[in-house]
Amino acid sequence: MDASRAEVCVVACAEAWRGDGEILASPMGIIPRLGAELARHTFAPDLLLSDGEAYLMAGDTVEGWLPYRAVFGVVAAGTRHVMMGASQLDRFGNQNISAVGDWARPRSQLLGVRGAPGNTVNHPTSYWVPRHSPRVFVERVDMVCGVGYDRAGGRFHEIRLVVTNLAVLDFDTPDRAMRLRSVHPGVSVSDVVAATGFPLAVPDGVPETRLPTAAELALIRDRLDRDARRDREVP
Amino acid sequence: MGEITSLRDAIADLAFDGATVALEGFTHLIPVAAGQEIIRQGRRDLTLVRMTPDIVYDQMIGAGCARKLVFSWAGNPGVGSLHRFRDAVQNGWPVPLEIEEHSHAGMANRYVAGAAGLPFAVLRGYVGTDLVAQTPNIKPITCPFTGEVLTAVPALNPDVGIVHAQRADRAGNVQMWGITGVHKEVVLASKRSLVTVEEIVDHLDPRPGAVILPHWAITYVAEVPGGAHPSYAMGYSERDNDYYQAWDAISRDRDAFGDWLTSTVMREVRAILGDQA
Repeated sequence: MDASRAEVCVVACAEAWRGDGEILASPMGIIPRLGAELARHTFAPDLLLSDGEAYLMAGDTVEGWLPYRAVFGVVAAGTRHVMMGASQLDRFGNQNISAVGDWARPRSQLLGVRGAPGNTVNHPTSYWVPRHSPRVFVERVDMVCGVGYDRAGGRFHEIRLVVTNLAVLDFDTPDRAMRLRSVHPGVSVSDVVAATGFPLAVPDGVPETRLPTAAELALIRDRLDRDARRDREVP
Repeated sequence: MGEITSLRDAIADLAFDGATVALEGFTHLIPVAAGQEIIRQGRRDLTLVRMTPDIVYDQMIGAGCARKLVFSWAGNPGVGSLHRFRDAVQNGWPVPLEIEEHSHAGMANRYVAGAAGLPFAVLRGYVGTDLVAQTPNIKPITCPFTGEVLTAVPALNPDVGIVHAQRADRAGNVQMWGITGVHKEVVLASKRSLVTVEEIVDHLDPRPGAVILPHWAITYVAEVPGGAHPSYAMGYSERDNDYYQAWDAISRDRDAFGDWLTSTVMREVRAILGDQA
């Protein structure tokens, strides 16, 4: 059973929540959502997952009520791990989702900082980038919304993983600069370096991202994503 | 207080040029009809406040009602960008739009402080972001007990707070349920307020998880069935997803937006004036 790139990405996203225990997992995007559900169904059964509105769901069963207003208490308490998108991301994990260009008169006004300023300083944050390119991975972001490692993030700050359509990245380096953690099957290290707009820390012998197990593939294909929505995000 | 009146009269009394106006709602109970009434009455230079501005603010911005937006997320939910909002920020059309950006929690806490009569809210967010340098309303504050440096944001006390709810009784007490967002906070924080409701009933029977706003906390109540459309009112209506999709094409183009404004929102003005003539 050959896994597609999208399926490799689902598993790579799932791995972000490994070991998190009984916290709220907040995935943004189709593949992060499938990843969190996969983690919950397999190695992270204690994760709490919202239905995208106000219910906490265990499969098809409602197990809690967590309306928008109450999420901020969870954020402040730190019992949450979010995987957000990023319009721009720099080598220390500063993230921009607000505006491209000059903030006062942007070339492109995006959706706004949303929860990023609070998320990144209160609890673990990971990022999902469905199209790894130098337009996203930039030397300097135009506006810091999510806080990176070269800024005052405080004692609860942690950027766990960056998962893209090409690779998995982390900040496990002495100066907390972004590092290539693994490349997806079929992707070379030089592909990732070329698609990254800043010098990436590349260790010797970068491993391949792990393949989904047969059980994980069956879960993704037959239960979590029968309509193959994952293929729309990563063709 | 909690005076029952028409949407038109409530907006005419509450909303004035230059006012700070907050129309709140999250997923459902979004007071779209009230926003469109503000467009019809031609209000200008408003400071619009909302945690998650969506299509009704896009319509108000495109119609030239606003000079400033205070927000934490602005988009067409499930579809993409707000094109009138972007045109205003990027190109100053039809009038320049100043923005003040906050995090979601920052906005919610600002309303909570405003509702409580406190001068500011305190939270751990914002530290390390570029918002701090851009925004005079975000300041560091040192905890007097632990010495931790946190962030203070001032209370929000809009001139007018507007929300939609399921129903009210004849005394003007309001009942809402489902995701209630910051409905309670914005009404309590605002100097004056309007709640549009699906229906006015004789008696509010209890509902699990419902929020009651007592009549003395509200300025006006107006019965506007479907006043949240294209969002929904849980228990009364369904979300009109096609509207949100259609809005993308309408709002991308200035002329298409102008045609939409003339043929929908403003057409009702002519109808009303025609009735009077």
